[in-house]
Amino acid sequence: MSTSSNQDPRLTQSAASDTSLLAAHEKAAGKQADEKGNYKLMPLALLFGFSGLIFWAGSYMGRFSGQFSGNIFDENAQPSTGAEVVAKIDPIVLGKKQYAAACIACHLADGKGLTGVNPPLAGSEWVTGSEERLVRIVVHGLKGPIKVMGVEYSAAAMPVFGKVAGSGYNWSDEKIAAVLTYIRQEWGNTAGPISTELVAAIRAKEGDRKEWSAEELLKIQ
Amino acid sequence: MSHDTQEVSANDAHARGPLLLLLGSGLVWLVISGVLALIASVQLHTPTFLASCAWFTYGHMQALQETAFVYGWLANAGLALGLWVLTRLGGEALRAGNWVTVGALFWNLGVTLALVGIVAGDATGHSLLQLPRYVQPLLLIAYGAIAVAGVLAWSGRRNEASYASQWYVFAALFLFPWLFSVAHVALFVVPMRGVMQAVTAGWFAQGVFTLWLAPLALAAAYYVVPKVTGRVLPGYQFASLSFWVLIVVGAWTGGRHLIGGPAPAWISSLAIVSCSLLVFHYFVVWLNLKGSIGQGGAVMKFTSFGLLAYVIGGCADAFTSIRSFAVITQFTYFTQAQQQLALYGGISMLFFGALYFAVPRLTGKTWASAALIGGHATTAILGVLLLVISLGVAGWTQGQALLKPAVTFPEIAAATRPWLLLATAAYAVLLVGNLMLVVNFLQTLAAKPTVPAATLFQATSDIKETA
Repeated sequence: MSTSSNQDPRLTQSAASDTSLLAAHEKAAGKQADEKGNYKLMPLALLFGFSGLIFWAGSYMGRFSGQFSGNIFDENAQPSTGAEVVAKIDPIVLGKKQYAAACIACHLADGKGLTGVNPPLAGSEWVTGSEERLVRIVVHGLKGPIKVMGVEYSAAAMPVFGKVAGSGYNWSDEKIAAVLTYIRQEWGNTAGPISTELVAAIRAKEGDRKEWSAEELLKIQ
Repeated sequence: MSHDTQEVSANDAHARGPLLLLLGSGLVWLVISGVLALIASVQLHTPTFLASCAWFTYGHMQALQETAFVYGWLANAGLALGLWVLTRLGGEALRAGNWVTVGALFWNLGVTLALVGIVAGDATGHSLLQLPRYVQPLLLIAYGAIAVAGVLAWSGRRNEASYASQWYVFAALFLFPWLFSVAHVALFVVPMRGVMQAVTAGWFAQGVFTLWLAPLALAAAYYVVPKVTGRVLPGYQFASLSFWVLIVVGAWTGGRHLIGGPAPAWISSLAIVSCSLLVFHYFVVWLNLKGSIGQGGAVMKFTSFGLLAYVIGGCADAFTSIRSFAVITQFTYFTQAQQQLALYGGISMLFFGALYFAVPRLTGKTWASAALIGGHATTAILGVLLLVISLGVAGWTQGQALLKPAVTFPEIAAATRPWLLLATAAYAVLLVGNLMLVVNFLQTLAAKPTVPAATLFQATSDIKETA
């Protein structure tokens, strides 16, 4: 290095001409035959290092690509099977919520109702008995006298809850199934769950109709 | 090979007017942006400063200083140095010099209009693209007029051989209009919707650095280092691969500004791996230019510092883009520290180095004052170190505190305040240094040549192979 020529700090001298700079680097960039077969360590290490980076980059992209979807903002999102779109709802949780929203007004929190006015659900043979009857009562409602646990209720008036004509609630089949499943295992009741499919099937079979009477229901098993 | 031993020729004198116009206007913008940056940094820790005047609130000042710095200083200086390197290596006189002069005048008119527009409230709100939209077409046309000379210098070069500096300038000349026009259309003419707007703005902001300013700075450094050391670059067989990695991969790193933000995951992931791949580019640049370190003289002092900042900044980008780091550093002062390390420590310092090399050759005179050169070098290095360290610590503190829900914003502001005061001091130091450079530049222009240029410069010899 031409240290002696760089004495004046106001002017940095050049140690190489432009033409020789061009020519020498053109030569350095060219593929020169390595006659002795002496591969230098640096070029090989650099290429290995670069390949390593590419490999790492590929692995990272494979792991955190989010399937290259414009809708996936979380890099840890797992591949979609379509199933997780419909989240599982616990029918007991949903049923309890539905019960608290409507049923509780007459049947009360303890499910015992008001003797002589509103029939009880706790221990009731109508609740723990035939699924077919129970679903019909909630979907279409019930009017007229009914005997529950040996007590006569002369003017029962169960409102219409299903998605049928004249319904004030328009609950989905899922909600009705959930609330029925809930009351069938609450307050000491031990009956099995009611499926959404059963509610849907009964609603499809009976269609729009007026409220059931206890007599009609007793004919159904 | 040694028929061309004259260091300066008529070509340099021919390019003098247009290139000194670009360099001079760049230096004026450098000082203006320094003043604006100082004000903006004071407002960060003392919000009442100038707060009563809507024109000079922090949002305006920050946009102003950034625009003056990038489109005023870096653009002018980068284009001047790029064109100079192309004409030097091409071995022919600068053609279309008048186009450069006219282009430079309109470019600087455009930047002036942009600053006025920003003061009036027309900043776009996109980082590194705060220029009001109505100024952008003017800037694009002015840029084209300047770039014509570069294209002609390349296509009409005397030497068939090409060198890394030429690739970098040539790429930068074409990549900026591409970035700028696409961003203009996609953000203002037919604005993208929602998230895509942030993605486009991030792509542009990163592209301005990776695909435009960095290539210009590298072109200057790749030229100056072997010229001064007189040695063939040791890793030159990898220079072309390193160049292509920067050009091809660099454009994909834009998403790193969105890590942790509301953008599709793959855009951030792609930016993260792109930042890692660029480590190869940075390593090759380091390998080739590390000969500048430890050399005497202002040119090599600035260049070696710029090289270190460029390489360290690149590796820091790769590390902090990793999500577990980004969760702390993203959207804090730390990203500002990284930006200053890249734009000031890297690009600017490499430009300074090449500027100290080019001006004596363009003017045929030595620099007027050695003391001012030394003062500028000391203040610039001290200022950049202070600035990057203070913003970096402030950002890290801020990032850690933001992750703790119990820590309130006033507490965070109090914790970062000492470091922000230090950053203000750094901006003041940098401003003083840049004033020294401007004074020296003007004195050099005004001075009468003492000896003919031919005797001022020693005859050059052939370059030596690496030991």
